[in-house]
Amino acid sequence: MAQSKSFRNSSLSDRIFDVCNIIFMILLVIVTLYPFLNMFALSFNDANDSVRGDIYIWPREWTLRNFDYVFSESNIFYATFISAARTIVGTVVSVFCTAMLAYTVSRPEYKLKKFVSVTFIFTMYFSGGLIPGYLLIKELDMLNTFWVYIIPGIIGVFNMIVIRSFIEGLPEGLMESAKIDGAGDFITFARIVLPLTVPALATVSLFVAVYQWNSWFDVFLYNSSSPSLTTLQYELMKMLSTSNTSSASSAADAFANAKGNAAAVTPTSVRATMTIVASVPIIIVYPFLQKYFVKGMVVGGVKG
Amino acid sequence: MELGKGTVQVEKTAGQMAKSNAGASRFKTFFIELSKQKMLMLMSLPFLIWVFVFKYLPLWGWTIAFQKFKPARDFFDQKWVGWDNFKFLFQEQQFYRVLRNTLVMSSINLVFGFVTSIVLALLLNELRNIFFKRTVQTISYLPYFISWVVASNIVQTALAPEGIINVLLLKMQFIDHPVLWLGVGKYFWGILGATEVWKNVGWNTIIYLAAITSIDPSQYEAAEIDGASRLQRMFYITLPGIKPVIVLILIMNLGHILESGFEAQYLLGNGMNVDFSENLDIFVLKYGMQMNNFGLATAAGMFKTLVSFIFLITANNIAKRMGESRLY
Amino acid sequence: MHTKKWLQTTLAVVMASALLIVGCSNGNSGEKDSASGGKNSEVSKEPVTFDYFAFGTNRDTMASDTTIGKILQEQTGVDWKMEFVVGDASTKSGVMIAGGDYPDVISPVGELAKFLDAGALIPLNDLIEKYGPNIKRVYGDYMNKITNEDGNIYILPFTANVNGYLSPPDPTSTFWMQRRVLKEFGYPQVKTLDQYFDLIEKYQAKYPSVDGKNTIGFVTFASTAGEFFTITNQPMHLAGYPNEGGVMVDMETHEAKLYQGTEDEKRWLAKLNEMNGKGLFDPESFTANKDQYLAKLTSGRVLGFASYSWQIPDATTNLRTAGNDDLRYVALPIVYEENIKDAYVDPPSFVNNRGLGISVSAKDPERIIKYWDNLLTDENQKLVQWGEEGVTYSKNADSRMVMTEKQLTDRNDNDFKHKYGFAYFDYEWPRYGDNSVYEDGNAHVPFNQPEVAAINYTEGDKALLKAYKLDTFSDLYAEPVERPWYPAWSIEKEPGSPEQLFSQRAGDLQQKFYPRMVLASPGEFEADWNEYMAEYNKLDAKGYEGFMTGKVKNRIDGKW
Repeated sequence: MAQSKSFRNSSLSDRIFDVCNIIFMILLVIVTLYPFLNMFALSFNDANDSVRGDIYIWPREWTLRNFDYVFSESNIFYATFISAARTIVGTVVSVFCTAMLAYTVSRPEYKLKKFVSVTFIFTMYFSGGLIPGYLLIKELDMLNTFWVYIIPGIIGVFNMIVIRSFIEGLPEGLMESAKIDGAGDFITFARIVLPLTVPALATVSLFVAVYQWNSWFDVFLYNSSSPSLTTLQYELMKMLSTSNTSSASSAADAFANAKGNAAAVTPTSVRATMTIVASVPIIIVYPFLQKYFVKGMVVGGVKG
Repeated sequence: MELGKGTVQVEKTAGQMAKSNAGASRFKTFFIELSKQKMLMLMSLPFLIWVFVFKYLPLWGWTIAFQKFKPARDFFDQKWVGWDNFKFLFQEQQFYRVLRNTLVMSSINLVFGFVTSIVLALLLNELRNIFFKRTVQTISYLPYFISWVVASNIVQTALAPEGIINVLLLKMQFIDHPVLWLGVGKYFWGILGATEVWKNVGWNTIIYLAAITSIDPSQYEAAEIDGASRLQRMFYITLPGIKPVIVLILIMNLGHILESGFEAQYLLGNGMNVDFSENLDIFVLKYGMQMNNFGLATAAGMFKTLVSFIFLITANNIAKRMGESRLY
Repeated sequence: MHTKKWLQTTLAVVMASALLIVGCSNGNSGEKDSASGGKNSEVSKEPVTFDYFAFGTNRDTMASDTTIGKILQEQTGVDWKMEFVVGDASTKSGVMIAGGDYPDVISPVGELAKFLDAGALIPLNDLIEKYGPNIKRVYGDYMNKITNEDGNIYILPFTANVNGYLSPPDPTSTFWMQRRVLKEFGYPQVKTLDQYFDLIEKYQAKYPSVDGKNTIGFVTFASTAGEFFTITNQPMHLAGYPNEGGVMVDMETHEAKLYQGTEDEKRWLAKLNEMNGKGLFDPESFTANKDQYLAKLTSGRVLGFASYSWQIPDATTNLRTAGNDDLRYVALPIVYEENIKDAYVDPPSFVNNRGLGISVSAKDPERIIKYWDNLLTDENQKLVQWGEEGVTYSKNADSRMVMTEKQLTDRNDNDFKHKYGFAYFDYEWPRYGDNSVYEDGNAHVPFNQPEVAAINYTEGDKALLKAYKLDTFSDLYAEPVERPWYPAWSIEKEPGSPEQLFSQRAGDLQQKFYPRMVLASPGEFEADWNEYMAEYNKLDAKGYEGFMTGKVKNRIDGKW
């Protein structure tokens, strides 16, 4: 109601701005929607036919064979379950811990504020390397455990900075009054800060969840010999690498392909199908989180 | 009396001590105050231990830069080669070319990616229809979820002699014969920059959209009453409102100045544009990892860390002096 | 209020997931216990499960989930947990070695040098001596080739041919010509590179476009660094040498000469440059990715191209199913001069740096060696290639092994191959080489069996064979010549050695200069070539050739 009213009242230049803005957004949507439409078309198109190229946004020869191939791996549903588990557990743990740490470094009176900040920030710019990292996990006895997905990623430094700057933007009076009421730091954090930083927490949750869902390298490195801990992305990576070379090396294989009925899938088709299968579940997280991105929510919360 | 005297004396001594040993005293007060912050310490200490174990402990791996490293050998059985790996790196002809490419590409990404994602956030914020806004938001972040293999495939198809770009440009008569876009070295940086924006702009916008939510709506109401136009409101309310976040991200990204990405260059690069497309990471892959030269890869990583710290600290100090939000 | 609820939910989710995961990992450890239960096995059929890790690519499986694996398990009691590398092989081998925990058996493929260096594999000599009569039978002739410099045998390779050498019935070269071009000019003999390009030129002059789309004279695949050899290997083939990697080995002196920077390379580039000048070379050869390249080949617009057949199966399959034989291609044995004998058919070769070894962590090497020995009987080798009679193959009236249409389709079907186990057992195990023959005269690899291959020809293939008066496509090619060192590409170069560095730098130069030279205007070719040579001459080619020559001569002396 209020919105439409303000639109009627708005000046001509504002209307021109609105029109241009909408046109721009539509162009943006076309350009950014294309890759997914393309993946969609390729995933439903016959792999053998896709080799000819010129598939854009609609399949030419419909088939479900690519999906058959991807779902033929019997443990794909189990792997999806583990992916979901690591995404949920990983996100909840990491966001909670990161927020708690961010709260401590947002307190101006905290004596270790700068030390802690610097200690964490620097870690964004170095790494001991692959092998020392692997040996550490091995020494900690975390190989072939679920925790290797969660613990090494407990704190996201970038996320910590985001939450910290959000907390710093909150009116100081709030935390002061909590203190006066006798609340300790943890209570202040849990009761007052957490609810008021929901937009930041939602953003960070999205970042962590996407990271967790898409990870496959840690599975490859640490848990590859534990089928009970495999994830969706890792299973799909395996399928992709199999389809890549199914056609290589031995004479027998070359013949098999020449025979004409063997090339049921190609790397391109498998990749497209994978993209659809693996990204749709995580993509829908964002629209769900958008309801926490409401303007004025924070300030409103403070006033109330 | 006596008591008072004594007190004076004590005070005097304390004063002398403070003068002669101000550091120790400050140290003391520091700990006294810190001891009052038990809860804050309790809330951060576990993570300090964590960061030490998971991030700082593996730094022993940097010694690999001074070794002809073989994974099978024990630490003490490794062959030590001094600065050889660094020498190889810095004496390599190609090094300065790939360093230039890295710096240029990451600068382009930084500026281009930064400006576009902020502008998109501002424009999205001006959309009135909530449903339309959320739809655009969601769709614009889709390309982030496709792998670089898929993304570069699409770019290569679009830029082919018979691809959409050439067709459009021919129709509009900007060119009179198809251009082999990926075959001309000097176009590479532009193509890469545009590709990065296309793929990541929606994703990078999320953080600014979140920041916008913390702006007090009453400011907009006040501006509307004052008759400010949409553009004015964008410039004088929204932009300053998210400035602290912008500055923080800018500082953090400046620290990543030698990270220009890897897959995109690897996939879009070819013999014709190699002088412009090859960056530090590809060089390290070719001469380090693919030859099992972990030492060279580690040396390159240390060099990158050094450069990162220089940029990070400088940027943070500049921000501090200008009174902007800073990282630490 | 709201916060509390949120926290409660969070905690509940964490707890639930934790419980769940604990449950999972418990289940896993239980499984492990039972696996190691068969440790002290006096009775050789006591069930046991070993870990198998291969740096080839495949889907992970339990061997007993496949028909072949099940049959072998019934014979031996041994089951395998088979795992294959995903992602970067050198990362995986690096952490495996650094961690020091190995699976029971490893097929290291390209990572062999690292595993040997790490002492990760155990010597097999004594085990073979004690428990491996069949291993000795199969690998007996190759003992010097499989023995390492230190006198030990660490891996059993996959290429030990038994009972002679059977060439594949339908070999291919790297130069392909569209069949309508040959048809147009009445199936002429095409032997030299000049004849090949002349024919393309004549055809394109006559048909500059087909169905409104321009025909493309010649294309190749030279955009990605990983497959740049597609363009750089050709001078070697054109000069009449088989694929040995970067060098050509002289038949008399056994000198290994690099062909980079020679007249042979220049001639190839000059020809491409000339074709480019005439508009017959597609410059997209240097920028198109694999998908674009394959799409181009299947469009039917390309008159000729250069590729190894195993790079393009998706395209050849597509053209074959499309059914228009005019648009399909045939590989021709193209060389520089009439008097050069082509070497497109691989000579008998032994690849000694690919094989399966037993790791130092192996639980029971004896059991493993016995299993391998049992695998190498004629019966079991038939099982892993042909399967079971009446199920996956049949016998004809002459009791030769053949396949029905249905059986052939199954043997080619990816899903069936995995379910039955061909995909897991026909490679990356101790085995007969691809060119082996059984005692009874049947070919080891079904597709080398002429009776099976014959089903493969389409009507168009038959017409083409008839036009050139051939029985099989192998008749187009020269008989391979014995090259006792072949293939030189399997000579291991030490990681980070000068030789490896030379290859990388020389390859970088080719990648940078080839497009420039080929696409240069004809007047500038010479200048570009000179610039290329100036850069190339800075590298130590002599040292590399010396290294390779030494290794080749060692091989001839039996030191592999």
